[in-house]
Amino acid sequence: MSTPCSPEGPAAPPSPSADQALAGGSAWADIHALLPSTKEGLRLDFSEKVEGSVVSLLQQAGSLLYGARGNFVGDAREKCLRVSEIILDYSWEKLNIGTWRNVDKEWRRVYAYGCLFKALCLGDQPDARAEAVRVCDMGLLLGASILENILVRLINVLQQHLRRSKRPGADDAEEPGRKKIREACPTVPTIEPDAAIPRLHCPSLEHFRDNYLIPQKPVVLEGVVGHWPCMKKWSVDYLRQVAGCRTVPVEVGSRYTDKEWSQSLMTVDDFISRYIVSTNKIGYLAQHQLFEQIPELKQDICIPDYCCLGEGEEEDITINAWFGPEGTISPLHQDPQQNFLVQVIGRKYVRLYSPQESENLYPHETSLLRNTSQVDVEDPDLVNFPKFERAASQACILTPGQVLFVPVKYWHYVRSLDLSFSVSFWWS
Amino acid sequence: MAGPAPRVWFVFGFRDLAATPVPVPVPAGEGLRAVRPGWSYEGHVTKGSRLLLQGAVCGCLPQDCLDLLPGETHLLLLRAGALEAWAPPAPDLRGDPAWSRPLCPREAAQAVLPLVPGGYVTPRPPFFTPLPPMLQAQKLTLGHDHVVLLSTGGALYTWGSGRHGQLGHGSLECMAEPRLVEALHGVPMGEVAAGGWHSASVSEAGDLYIWGWNRWGQLALPSQALAESKVGATVAGTGSPIKPASHAADEFISIQAFPALLDLPEVSKISCGSSHTAAVTRAGDLYTWGWGKYGQLGHTDTTSSDQPQPVAYFPANRLRVEDVVCGPWSTYVCAVEA
Repeated sequence: MSTPCSPEGPAAPPSPSADQALAGGSAWADIHALLPSTKEGLRLDFSEKVEGSVVSLLQQAGSLLYGARGNFVGDAREKCLRVSEIILDYSWEKLNIGTWRNVDKEWRRVYAYGCLFKALCLGDQPDARAEAVRVCDMGLLLGASILENILVRLINVLQQHLRRSKRPGADDAEEPGRKKIREACPTVPTIEPDAAIPRLHCPSLEHFRDNYLIPQKPVVLEGVVGHWPCMKKWSVDYLRQVAGCRTVPVEVGSRYTDKEWSQSLMTVDDFISRYIVSTNKIGYLAQHQLFEQIPELKQDICIPDYCCLGEGEEEDITINAWFGPEGTISPLHQDPQQNFLVQVIGRKYVRLYSPQESENLYPHETSLLRNTSQVDVEDPDLVNFPKFERAASQACILTPGQVLFVPVKYWHYVRSLDLSFSVSFWWS
Repeated sequence: MAGPAPRVWFVFGFRDLAATPVPVPVPAGEGLRAVRPGWSYEGHVTKGSRLLLQGAVCGCLPQDCLDLLPGETHLLLLRAGALEAWAPPAPDLRGDPAWSRPLCPREAAQAVLPLVPGGYVTPRPPFFTPLPPMLQAQKLTLGHDHVVLLSTGGALYTWGSGRHGQLGHGSLECMAEPRLVEALHGVPMGEVAAGGWHSASVSEAGDLYIWGWNRWGQLALPSQALAESKVGATVAGTGSPIKPASHAADEFISIQAFPALLDLPEVSKISCGSSHTAAVTRAGDLYTWGWGKYGQLGHTDTTSSDQPQPVAYFPANRLRVEDVVCGPWSTYVCAVEA
């Protein structure tokens, strides 16, 4: 089904308000309202890094889109879809050549445009709308921001139409709810009192700075994040509702140092069905900037006040989501920034070693894993790693509402004891 | 029957070409000696030693052009007196090349691109890279960002990016300098090929070894992405648990950092595209596997495959395959009547 857009065609259609959209404007009209009024407005200009043959494909896709005069159907759409597939496949190759750091931003822009064109081709068809959201997410995950974040705005419109076309109650039948009963209780490690990370209730900024930040000492903060909306709102059902059809990166396998470990992209719905509801395998939505991708979720969290003690700007703070079942493990490793680990759902066991202990921790020798210890913290091989026994450590069981301060370069090992959602803030 | 049967080049894959082999069009009365595939265009070397460009760039190159490497940013040319890079590629070669390096005619006549005296060339900057003099190269092939070299003694050297295991040294480290592939040391090799992120070699005995990235099954090892795409269509977005795939999860191979021996009949030729692989057996059969979205596997459809499959077109038309050369997303096959 495809409904032609407003009578004036692609020439500057008025942008409908959210109310109008919800009142039942056609999907294509709502999608079209996001687009610039002319093809030139797409700003398909690229540096010489992008080859002429690819630029001409982008131009071709743009012409097909704007030549359609409000009737982006049939041949034009089919052709535009084919061209956008080629753009996507070609730029995807470029994104995978060399290291991610060295990929030219121009190729990430090309990829984002490919996603935009493809999502526009799909977005008009009700059956393909979920796929269109997936395509936009790929553009957000791998591409660069284009046209004032048009992919985020396009997802919003697509989701409005997706929700509207969903039959009420269709979801409830298979809704697993919160069946969190597990056969085996997790092994909760005992922590010796003198090795416990100190806990502190809502210290002043000065107290935290003078006693923990400057001397670089870990501490568990309480009473700091209890008022964040996420503490009450977030549940498996809520995440499904807000983000079910969104595509996210998932680590499959219990730890990233394992041979069988891999990363794949899947929707939040699929992640929850495969790894949260059923539990024969471990999957971990780890170290992902979910809140950049889904602004709706960002409204449920804040930036801890203590971050203002750092020298960086607030925009430089990296916020990552960590969502997984019981039993996810982050092997002992260190990060180059200060970290506040905020626990929202479930418990996590955390073990910390100061950077002075590095030589007792046997970091990997390959460049990719140099920040990671070879030692399995909870089952150490003391024959191969004898010095590990000497390393002094601290530990805690982090529970919802608590915040762990992990100083720069502090080695940390994390295992979830329940279904868990944590948010980390990396700051400098 | 008088004289040898004519050799005909076929093509399948990208650029609106079918997933079924079609003969490469050639000017009347002029056979093709070799094909130099690129992405948006390709080079044809005719039996009359003319060089033609076909595709996004089209036309006949000047007479003194001997061979070429087609790239998207540059066309690299071997001419009787020089190596040259032209951007954007234009067959009339007006103006000045983007880069050139003098070559004496005797050297030019002997060069087997990308090997040239003292090093090798690429159709992108820096165009020329010197090779250590003690490496006696017989053949050299270029991946997206790695290089595979076959020495005159049949030993294999690789260098460049190793992040997808494409160097075959058992790690994911990058190598700035050529390094012997020790796992294959002592097995004399006769053929080598570099794909986008994978590599392959054929021993003198006809055994095929392959390593690197298996994203699309280009190593002919079980690929998770392919298994998921097969069930994905019915499962995506419904939130229902995924059906168990035919392979157990730990049987999937994403990256193979050491050479793996493939079980195929004795192989004579091997070539790799960006993410697919094609092998010719000594019996004259063509097998292809890996990424097939643009029809580059020649199996009459656009599915990918993580298992070597014979291309049925050739035996069905009583053709014996002699050679194969892959473009990034396409495959060129030379066959004779059986």
